[in-house]
Amino acid sequence: MDSLDALVAQVQGFSGTDDLLHLFSLLKQSDELLHTHAPRLQYALSSLDPAKHSLGYLYLLEVQSSGTLSQEQSENFLALASTFLNVCIAEQICLAPEKFNMVCRRVKEQALQLQEPLRAILPLQAAIRKLQPSSEFLTAMHADFLQMCLLAKCYKASLSVLEDDIFEIDQKRTGLVPRDFLLYCYYGGMIHIGLKQFGKALEFFQHAITAPATVLNAITIAAYKKFVLVSLIQLGQFHDCFVQVPLFPKYTPPVVQRNLKSCVQDYVDLATSYVTRNIADVKGYITTHEDAFKSDNNLGLARQVIASLYKRNIQRLTQTYLTLSLQDIADNVQLDGPKEAELHILQMIQDGEIFARINQKDGMVSFQEDPEQYNTSAMTMRLNLEIHNIVRLAKKLTSVDEQVSCDQVYLSKIGRDRPRYETEDFDIVPQKMYTNL
Amino acid sequence: MSSSSGLTFKLHPLVIVNISDHYTRIKAQSGSASPPPRVYGCVLGVQTGRNVEIFNSFELHYDATQNVLDRAFLESKQEQYKKVFPKYDVLGWYSTGSDIQDSDMLIHKALTDINESPVYLLLNPAINHAQKDLPIAIFESELHVIEGVPSLIFVNASYTIETVEAERISVDHVAHIKPSDGSSAATQLAAHLTGMHSAIKMLNSRIRVLHHHLVSIQKGEAPYDHSLLRQVSSLIRRLPAIDSSRFQDDFLMEYNDTLLMTYLATITKCSSTMNELVDKFNTAYDKQNRRGGRSTFI
Repeated sequence: MDSLDALVAQVQGFSGTDDLLHLFSLLKQSDELLHTHAPRLQYALSSLDPAKHSLGYLYLLEVQSSGTLSQEQSENFLALASTFLNVCIAEQICLAPEKFNMVCRRVKEQALQLQEPLRAILPLQAAIRKLQPSSEFLTAMHADFLQMCLLAKCYKASLSVLEDDIFEIDQKRTGLVPRDFLLYCYYGGMIHIGLKQFGKALEFFQHAITAPATVLNAITIAAYKKFVLVSLIQLGQFHDCFVQVPLFPKYTPPVVQRNLKSCVQDYVDLATSYVTRNIADVKGYITTHEDAFKSDNNLGLARQVIASLYKRNIQRLTQTYLTLSLQDIADNVQLDGPKEAELHILQMIQDGEIFARINQKDGMVSFQEDPEQYNTSAMTMRLNLEIHNIVRLAKKLTSVDEQVSCDQVYLSKIGRDRPRYETEDFDIVPQKMYTNL
Repeated sequence: MSSSSGLTFKLHPLVIVNISDHYTRIKAQSGSASPPPRVYGCVLGVQTGRNVEIFNSFELHYDATQNVLDRAFLESKQEQYKKVFPKYDVLGWYSTGSDIQDSDMLIHKALTDINESPVYLLLNPAINHAQKDLPIAIFESELHVIEGVPSLIFVNASYTIETVEAERISVDHVAHIKPSDGSSAATQLAAHLTGMHSAIKMLNSRIRVLHHHLVSIQKGEAPYDHSLLRQVSSLIRRLPAIDSSRFQDDFLMEYNDTLLMTYLATITKCSSTMNELVDKFNTAYDKQNRRGGRSTFI
């Protein structure tokens, strides 16, 4: 008991910024001590202020939540952890990223156990912001946060985190493992599907597939299945965004390329039948393989694939005809009748996917051009915004370019590639320095 | 001390360009001898009543070691210029430097036989970016009584710049010196845009000064000046020049077109950077064997 009190006193005393490192080493050593005094931790926790003594609080929380907790204990823990995550000081917890990640994971687990993923969303979001040195860093909590949002079906809450472009990955500062990255891509893609932003979902899944890997990962397989379906919905085709017959971009790791096809044969077959643009075929295929899709939780997506096929067929009609009757549309697209065709077209006009006018009197639809004239100030603002985005991205690219140019490995490869030139003339990269690499 | 003679001076830009050209030439010819030598010359112009208008100038030979002005040269030049410009008289002389020197008075007195009251134009060749006005000062000589002794001293006079259309074009041309290496379209565009940019920047800063002044009048910190406010109001009423909706549409369409082109240019630049980056990355880290060179990716 005494030692625990002593530790608490030390935490309180050392939580000024100068002694943080000292405190950190002390805490590391007293891990066992904390474990033995588990029942008394509650008292210790209440005497510390999470806003000022974040580091000590973190350690105590972590120990308190290890092992199985009863209902009441987990409620208690969730409450404490939520307040802690909201008010903790970033510099203090940055000293112990693994502990922080562990606490956040416990928060997620407890929330799942209590069947209330909603409660974990805000604390996890605060935790992400605290651990990130800047919004361009990926942390281990991104995946957990997105998972909670998915389970709670609060997609909008995750938007602010999802919209940050991730440029930096720093394992030391954030305690990240590759699995977190894959999970982040996977869950991010799923949330974008939920928000019906299929383009972005496609990007995320592509990141998951092409991440460097030496072994095939279940996450990658699941991501690939969704990727096939989403690319059918969004692009209407499957091969053409990539260079040749291989279904993957060139930068996919070879392990993935070789082994993935065998695991996802059903989906690839669906893709091939989609290309024929025959609705009956696609529908039939999905019903026969319903179990396969259901086991991957992809049945909803598969149904959306069918819907997108209708849309695509109607869009192809706009390229052939100027006006068409509703009955003809229904026949062409294999819909049930003019009423259904009208519904479909109304929906598409509303979504801005085609431009048309329906004449109610004689049931004719006339297709029109995009009425955008580019002469509004709203368009000006939009263009301005896009230009600023690109300029920012270009700056980022040039800085990364400079980094790579100064990289040791790159310079050594350059030096080795020029053995023929006389050293007196081209003493840019001295050979001697890099021969041992 | 400011002049009390009541004369108004008008200066043409040709004079300024001439003096600066003279100075730069001599400075370049003398090499890196520091400090650069002072240059001397005469200014020509017309004096009608109270208006003194300085149109032109020519150079003089001045021997600094002996403090002797080459009179013969001056007279021959004067005759030549009289033949071409019968109206112009020698109104005074000019020199470069940062401040008046004692030897200047001697030269000034020497010129009084040509013109009873010559003017002295001083150009400060030091480039000072903070200074917004032209580094030119015009001095007159006046008889003042100092310590009981009547002596001639220089007094500062104010002047305005007067331009003829032809001069405006040539000054504009000089200001946008085209690069000598067969200017390509890119450098011309860059020069043109830089000129526009500096002009707009200057306009912007002047408007900001006005705005600041008006805000302080509103707050009551500065005195309420009716004439200034009238001028500002008339200036504001001159714009916008056209304001119909058709104009807006066309204008926005053209504006958006330019923005689209800029957008395209930035995307192209971005993709070229990306291409280089990917090349470098592949040379550094690509594990697949690419012997003897790198192949482009993506």
